[in-house]
Amino acid sequence: MTRTPNRSRQTQALLAAMLEKPLTWRHGYELLKLTGQQSGTLYPALLRLCDQGLLEAQWREAEKPGKPPRHVYRLTRAGLAFARGQVAPAPGKLTNLLGAKA
Amino acid sequence: MRETLCRRIARAFARHAAQVMPQGEMGWGQAMQNECEAVENDQKALRWAVGCVFAGYWESSNAMLQTWYARGLLACLIVLLGLREFFAPFLIFSYRMHYLGLANFLGMRTAGHDYRRLIPVMDAIPAWLPVLWAASGLLFLAALWRMLRRQSASGLLFFLAFGLDLVGLWVVRSIQASTGVVITPNPIVRAGGVVLTFLTGMVLWRMTRKRDLTENG
Repeated sequence: MTRTPNRSRQTQALLAAMLEKPLTWRHGYELLKLTGQQSGTLYPALLRLCDQGLLEAQWREAEKPGKPPRHVYRLTRAGLAFARGQVAPAPGKLTNLLGAKA
Repeated sequence: MRETLCRRIARAFARHAAQVMPQGEMGWGQAMQNECEAVENDQKALRWAVGCVFAGYWESSNAMLQTWYARGLLACLIVLLGLREFFAPFLIFSYRMHYLGLANFLGMRTAGHDYRRLIPVMDAIPAWLPVLWAASGLLFLAALWRMLRRQSASGLLFFLAFGLDLVGLWVVRSIQASTGVVITPNPIVRAGGVVLTFLTGMVLWRMTRKRDLTENG
């Protein structure tokens, strides 16, 4: 196949948001606020990136008692390399990206 | 504290979104549903849940498009679209070569059930137009072949064929205007053909796009 994956604007925004703090696990709603996307766009993109091994997902206990566990996401090693190749970082964030460990 | 109507609707939508997710992705449905509970603002939770319903149906349709019956139905549609492109060239060829029996047989399948009604149009059609239609038909069939073999670019071939088809329609429109003969008098049938072709192409594009992304990953 010759098609290059993950070229959509939404996926690029998602990768850029995850690149800001590559080691941090993030909730879906947090990513929605960071990217300004709707959940209807965000979840298919998250799912696809996980399928491709670029993101990893985990269940985490909710911080507030009585609330159900939540899914959290972060870039895998492959995802980090891929995101760095795809997303042109803002100059101020360059040091952060270079210092991040996969 | 009593829940607002907004929150209850959001919860119902999120539950529905989880239910419509494909079998293999039920965990994602649960994740969307649980995340809705973490959204403090009721209206934002509702917006979240509505988006989740969209995501659920999107994923569900993606899964459905990979089933053999969806692929079979799409294949049948593309075959029909491809063969349809050869109809006019065959009719014109049989008329011009004086195979009138064949022309009569094919003419029975046209609006008005008589090829003689279309003689002014067939006389005015330039020789390259049947070639264009035939090329369009071949491209439709090539798109089908690539789809069945799970190869890339089937959507591209399909829309190329559709583009040639539209060029043909545009040329025929001016011929119809000059001759006063309308090939398909019913505008719903005319528009329906274009819409059906476009929708088939979109479904093919989605079906193959999902596979491309997965294989590239």
